[in-house]
Amino acid sequence: MEARPVQRSGSMVLSNLTRTTTSIPSNPSTGEESFMRSDNTQFISKPLGQQTYHLLSSSNNGAVGHICSSTSSGFSTNLHYSSMVSHEKHGSSSNDTSWCHDSLHGGRFLDLPEANHVDDGGIGSAFDDIQKRNDWHEWADHLITDEDPLLSTSWNDLLLNTSSHSDSKVQIPPQAHQTVQQQPSPSVELRPVGTTSSSSNNGTGKARMRWTPELHEAFVEAINSLGGSERATPKGVLKIMKVEGLTIYHVKSHLQKYRTARYRPEPSENGSSEKKLTPLEQITSLDLKGGIGITEALRLQMEVQKQLHEQLEIQRNLQLRIEEQGKYLQMMFEKQNSGLEKGTASKSDTSAKSEQEDKKTDASKELASEETRNSQEPESSQAKRTKTR
Amino acid sequence: MKFGKRIKEQIQESLPEWRDKFLRYKELKNLISSPDPAEFIFIGLLNAEIDKFNAFFVEQEEDFIIHRKELQYRIQRLVEKCGDNDDETFREEIDDIRKDIVNFHGEMVLLVNYSNINYTGLAKILKKYDKRRGGALRSPFIQKVLHQPFFKTDLVSRLVREWETTIDAVFPASNAEAERGYERSAAVSSAAAGEGIFRNTVAALVTMREMRRGSSTYSAFSLPPVNLSDPDLVLGRCR
Repeated sequence: MEARPVQRSGSMVLSNLTRTTTSIPSNPSTGEESFMRSDNTQFISKPLGQQTYHLLSSSNNGAVGHICSSTSSGFSTNLHYSSMVSHEKHGSSSNDTSWCHDSLHGGRFLDLPEANHVDDGGIGSAFDDIQKRNDWHEWADHLITDEDPLLSTSWNDLLLNTSSHSDSKVQIPPQAHQTVQQQPSPSVELRPVGTTSSSSNNGTGKARMRWTPELHEAFVEAINSLGGSERATPKGVLKIMKVEGLTIYHVKSHLQKYRTARYRPEPSENGSSEKKLTPLEQITSLDLKGGIGITEALRLQMEVQKQLHEQLEIQRNLQLRIEEQGKYLQMMFEKQNSGLEKGTASKSDTSAKSEQEDKKTDASKELASEETRNSQEPESSQAKRTKTR
Repeated sequence: MKFGKRIKEQIQESLPEWRDKFLRYKELKNLISSPDPAEFIFIGLLNAEIDKFNAFFVEQEEDFIIHRKELQYRIQRLVEKCGDNDDETFREEIDDIRKDIVNFHGEMVLLVNYSNINYTGLAKILKKYDKRRGGALRSPFIQKVLHQPFFKTDLVSRLVREWETTIDAVFPASNAEAERGYERSAAVSSAAAGEGIFRNTVAALVTMREMRRGSSTYSAFSLPPVNLSDPDLVLGRCR
């Protein structure tokens, strides 16, 4: 396993929250992550950061909006957002204290675009899958009694760090984030956040945890030290693991999955994952008649899978680079435009535009020839030139 | 319409419990074509889809992490138990584990594929939206998608590669079972005829190749054709 810049147990989840790491713990590889715009690396951890925000949000109704919105506002990609920002200002005129309820009742159409939705999105609605019960009071108790001192510290850190790094036009004054438990400051311009997630959460604010092999390792160690998966209790495991931001619900659901995985293969060694074995079983029945060996069938399957994976990785890299190029060029274009607004605008516009087209063409060509043997067909460059962006 | 068809095929070929987790491309396309596609509705829907992807992806990933550990244990126990004995129970269990490893690998690859298909779909639908509305929604939105959990497939990819080496190192295939060409293709045909991981994988490869063959709106944002190292031996037989 490659080394990961993630510390073990105690600070494991803290690295979830801290935007200083290059990414969320499950994907700490700087190679690919840092590929994404450097000014956004701080935001990569946001999705999770926001998730865990939800943990506290439900216990602090008023403060929620601020916390959440701080992250989300920091998350916004400002430069291209002039239209969005004016939109935001409209949307965020909803009350500080009442937005929470609005969103709780599914008023997500009041919410502002993207950043908020997307950040929070996966969280709450995801949680419905895991947890059917709504006993967040108990959970809140756990949270406060077991981990309060640590959490509030890390929240503060995170909030301050986040807002200080936010370069969004919608700035939220840092004072609003001092402590989680404080009353919301009315001067803050909010961007309502917890939309779909909140509405399906019903205020429970259960965030989805993204597990990593390391985290799981710690989990298994804790389980073993408690005498095995049958005897271990979620609370016990939680206490041993001492991972910030990890809740008993995370542990519970993970434990459930773990138990299922553990005990399923053993009684039925031959029959695990039946439905997925259909093609293989077909092949092996052929085998009995002297056809393909199981091993060969497996090898074939493996080969196809490898190929698909390889292609997927190539495609993904291409897509990422195309987007990055596009973004860069657009920025350039806009800079040029804004610089040439007076006077010879029309002439420069066209030349700037065609220049941009050319750049894109070159960029794509470069990508294509790098990654594949077949470069783009010659006639396609013509097509590109005629197509406006 | 090409992508719409492709993603539909993909969904049909996918594992049953995955089928409703994909992007609802057609619905979104219809929304765009409707007389007045309100932006906030469109965005709301997209975000809901993204929620869905994130939830599913992260949950599958968690399952993989757990399963991986279990496989490791099984291998370890087997090695401890039998050492280098080549008796029958050993072989049976090895075969069993190999099967599980391959399927495990396959499922992970399919999850990466899932991520990719949905991303591609989002990119395309946004492009359509901008075209219809003359807007600039696409670029900033896609930038945000890039940071979504479901898009960050690094961990799963890493595990995929890990198990590719593991299966070779720990369970090398014996030479006695080296295969001839026609038998391989027979295996492929019969495998693809069934349901499950293998079929899904082949379908995914074919889809990818088709999608990247050429597009009516080829632009600077389009991907080049697929370059398969072992191109049509497998695929040709299956379609």
